[in-house]
Amino acid sequence: MTTDTNQIAGTASSTRVATGLFALVLGAFFVWGAGFAHSAALHDTAHDVRHAFGFPCH
Amino acid sequence: MLVRYLLAALAAGLFVGVLMTPIHYLKLVPLIEHAEVYEQGGHGIAPTHEHQASLVSSAYAHGLSNHQAGRVILVHGPAAAGGEEEGDASLFESRALGTLTANLVTGAGFALMLGAVALLTGHRITLRTGALWGLAGFAAISLAPALGLPPELPAMPVADLSTRQIWWIMTVVMTAAGLYCLVLRRQPVVRAGGALLLVVPHLFAAPHPADLSSPIPPTLAAEFAVASLATGALFWVLLGLSLGAAMDRYVGAEA
Repeated sequence: MTTDTNQIAGTASSTRVATGLFALVLGAFFVWGAGFAHSAALHDTAHDVRHAFGFPCH
Repeated sequence: MLVRYLLAALAAGLFVGVLMTPIHYLKLVPLIEHAEVYEQGGHGIAPTHEHQASLVSSAYAHGLSNHQAGRVILVHGPAAAGGEEEGDASLFESRALGTLTANLVTGAGFALMLGAVALLTGHRITLRTGALWGLAGFAAISLAPALGLPPELPAMPVADLSTRQIWWIMTVVMTAAGLYCLVLRRQPVVRAGGALLLVVPHLFAAPHPADLSSPIPPTLAAEFAVASLATGALFWVLLGLSLGAAMDRYVGAEA
């Protein structure tokens, strides 16, 4: 699997689901950090982006 | 190759994050900065007085001194409480650098999530379908929550933050699930359920404050809401297209 260029459908579906879930959680973690975390440092850094995306802010 | 799939999604997200930063600076950050003038100087002043002022640069004439040291409520609680520099706890000295970083992280995050949804539902994002995936993301993550909680400027009256965040997340999740059932499934019952899911979040009123009086001129707020949605649409279409292009290029051609 690591050396062969498998197509997505060719890989075992359990691996596919695991990768999908991993990507979903990692992506949600990123978005949470940039858009939702209550930390003052993160809020102030991402302030303009939070407003720009319409995330609830303040 | 699933590692390549993740890397391709990441690259597409970072690319769009870089691309969005100047666009934010062109259209949105000036409005936010304008609102902050009202936030720092104008809160608690009779609205009529504020509205007399011309909308654009003359607002800067309304400095702190102008306002008989009126009741100043700094909405940025932690920031205003005094961080390292100018009461700003930002990780970076420069506001632009913070915006760029946040755009990179947000772009990467949404790209990974959109890629994950495609992977989990067994679909491929290609350059041809990318814009549609992007528009679905826009509908779920920008448009639907904006119906209840329009994009807000600093100093606008708002309800409790956590309540709004919960409503926002609930709306996004239900809209995304609804779109999936409606668009990607065939069974009529599932599709009807999907349509229902799109409507349900809006039956629960989004949290709003009791007092709607605001130091921000309504025109400014309206301009920002529209600009935010338009920029959001652009972000999502670009993200979908970039994801499609990255998948076409770095991951096998066939799903």
